[in-house]
Amino acid sequence: MSTTDTKVDPAGGASRSPGRGSGDGSDPSWLERITGGGSPLVVLLRISLLGLVVYNAVVFTARLVDERAWLALGAMWLATVGLVWLFTRPGRIPAKFIVPGTIFLLVFQIYPVLYTGYIAFTNFGTGNVLDKPTAIEQLQAQATRVPPDAIRYDSTAFADETGALALLLTDPDGEQLFGTSEELTPLDDLGDVTTEGEQVTAVGAFERLSLVDAQEFASELQELRVPTDDGAIQLQSLTTAARAESTRVYDEEQDLVTDTVTGVEYRPVEGNFVSDDGDVLTPGWVAIKGTENFTRAFTSPLIRGPFIRVFIWNYAFAIGSVFLTFVLGLGLALALNEPRMRSRRLYRSLLVIPYALPSFLTALVWTGLLNTEFGAVNGLLGADLPWLTDPWLAKISILLVNLWLGFPYMFLVTTGALQAIPSDMLEAASVDGAGVWQKFSRITLPNLMITVAPLLIASFAFNFNNFNTVYLVTRGGPPIQGAQTPAGHTDILVSYVYRIAFESGRGADYGFAAAIAVLIFIMVAGISAYSFRYTQALEEIA
Amino acid sequence: MTRWFQDIGWRHLVGVVALLFALFPVAWVLSASVNPTGTLAGQQLIPAEPTLENFRALFATDFWLWFRNSLIVAGTGALGTVLLAALAAYAFSRLRFRGRRTGLLSLLLVQMFPQLLAFVAIFLMMIAIGDVAPAIGTGTIAGLILVYLGGAMGVNTWLIKGFFDTIPKDLDESALVDGATHWQVYSRIIMPLAAPILAVVGLLAFVAILNDFVIANAVLSQNSDSWTLSIGLFRYIDDRYGARWGPFSAGAVIGSIPTVFLFMFLQKYIVSGLTQGSVKG
Repeated sequence: MSTTDTKVDPAGGASRSPGRGSGDGSDPSWLERITGGGSPLVVLLRISLLGLVVYNAVVFTARLVDERAWLALGAMWLATVGLVWLFTRPGRIPAKFIVPGTIFLLVFQIYPVLYTGYIAFTNFGTGNVLDKPTAIEQLQAQATRVPPDAIRYDSTAFADETGALALLLTDPDGEQLFGTSEELTPLDDLGDVTTEGEQVTAVGAFERLSLVDAQEFASELQELRVPTDDGAIQLQSLTTAARAESTRVYDEEQDLVTDTVTGVEYRPVEGNFVSDDGDVLTPGWVAIKGTENFTRAFTSPLIRGPFIRVFIWNYAFAIGSVFLTFVLGLGLALALNEPRMRSRRLYRSLLVIPYALPSFLTALVWTGLLNTEFGAVNGLLGADLPWLTDPWLAKISILLVNLWLGFPYMFLVTTGALQAIPSDMLEAASVDGAGVWQKFSRITLPNLMITVAPLLIASFAFNFNNFNTVYLVTRGGPPIQGAQTPAGHTDILVSYVYRIAFESGRGADYGFAAAIAVLIFIMVAGISAYSFRYTQALEEIA
Repeated sequence: MTRWFQDIGWRHLVGVVALLFALFPVAWVLSASVNPTGTLAGQQLIPAEPTLENFRALFATDFWLWFRNSLIVAGTGALGTVLLAALAAYAFSRLRFRGRRTGLLSLLLVQMFPQLLAFVAIFLMMIAIGDVAPAIGTGTIAGLILVYLGGAMGVNTWLIKGFFDTIPKDLDESALVDGATHWQVYSRIIMPLAAPILAVVGLLAFVAILNDFVIANAVLSQNSDSWTLSIGLFRYIDDRYGARWGPFSAGAVIGSIPTVFLFMFLQKYIVSGLTQGSVKG
């Protein structure tokens, strides 16, 4: 196998001489060497795409330098230079075909997966999203006092569409500065300034507020702190501001923050400065905290109980879904796979309809159908069952909805597999006197499984993370009583992660969410690795 | 008669019961969309006086904006997916090079770590991208499409490669001898012949993107102008199930049209594509 891999394809070698496709018969000129040959249209397309890549790289360089994102900057230029190098010379045809998709794969799938692994070991979450220097800057800007000899400014308020506020400050020397809650910049350094006469009316997305409008934002404006090296600039009135000094001093050597008014010292503990009395300063920063996110799932009693329930239900849900959809799909395929039967095609195309509808819509529709008071299901049954609010009924509902969503697929694939079973085998069995059940269990089912087993494992892997069915039908509910994290009786791991990340009342806990995601990664990888034994994919690589 | 029932009749019975199960939610939504009361409480299977009032109420929301966003995201995403996956599939099927086997195996390995599960990281990453490049950062449709293209390779490349392998090599070899470049062989010979599998991969990508809620919500939730149908309709109906049932049903009816249309259009390819592709891994 390895010999065929390393052998150079003769056809690939032939096309390496540049300019073959251009057909004008001249020597490979410098132009062709750069363009790699091909029709003028292809060359034009290639050059403009590469031009676009280089142009964007140049544009983003300045912004990445601003953000001090050195790693991203390096990666971007490495990719840009690599792309230009690859596509401006002949040969390396395999790379030319594979690289475009690979770049997307690296940036938007592999990197996020690795990044998830990193977040899982940190305290990333509400209150801990900044890096440490920024957090210290903001802590210092929070606690300020205006000394008697402070620099004072004339001030005008600005606001952008999102409601973020900014100040245009004129110092005693007449120099103008523009300050946001993030930074203070001399106005001359900002490119996008609109003026009318003497008056500055807009800076970037920020627009000048009239005094009347500013009055509306008065309380927010009073709280605005524009960070400076040793404190912050804050408003004194709506039109004047003063440079205040921070009452918190950061000592870099000892890595501690001291409050100069109270004398209390704050030391860093897992991403926050904390005093000896346990007073925590916020915001904190993103800090590595080790394996705590992982162990928490198993050791903290308020998390462990619900987590284990979610875990067990996740397997029950995935196995149950595969089993039910397969049984119903196969049963229908057996019943309808009879050549003498009329309107077989009609049945088939109508039965596939649930598969053709977008599942996010039908999942939402089922929520309405299963409503206790007014739902169609209770209406038809003449019952009053709490389909979505009782822990056990909710589980049954979820399986029912997933059965409805999934059986057409199983029906399609088992029908296909049934038709591939040689009919003479069944006929021979009949001649030998085998009954219907014997024929099914000894011939049909084993033959069917050869084709369908990999699909069943794939279906299991899919349902293991079937977020839509669970979340859109029940939101994971009804809630498990006494759970510290948002967990419900029908939650599977992925919906549980989603709710920890985006719906927790105590603020987002990305670190813990990522840790659970990593645990799911490991389980799914286990399932996939197992399934590879059933596919011939590995042997097929020739 | 009983003989007929034992042979054929029971099959019709099973078929009809299955049809009732498969179609009753569909019938119910269709009727709810034209029901004059427009609430969950007031629904009947056959409304006495059908109206289009629910559609009017639906169009008063941002429905068309969500619908348009969904079509753009799913359409562009599906197209890009087919293109990127087919490019790589061509190299894996037609060219022999060092690292080919490793590359194919890596694609399988990457599939073990689905993008869906990394949504927390994608959420945080898109915020960071938004700081540098607002046009493709959090809250933008363009950013969401780029994220989806990250999942383009993998299974799709394997599916398409499997089909490319069945196209006789004599075709492209003779073209290469005649002086065609690999790009020309790919775009003029292989791609047209592979239309069935490209259609199936495109359809599956379209449906998967249209159905996605998790990643779309992680990327777009802060900017309501960029919401897709799944986010928009979910937020519209969430918590107000009873009162908004009618307009929601109208939205479900319209929202289903693109995929139903695609399925009808591509029906003949789907079954063969599904079984063939999946069996090959």
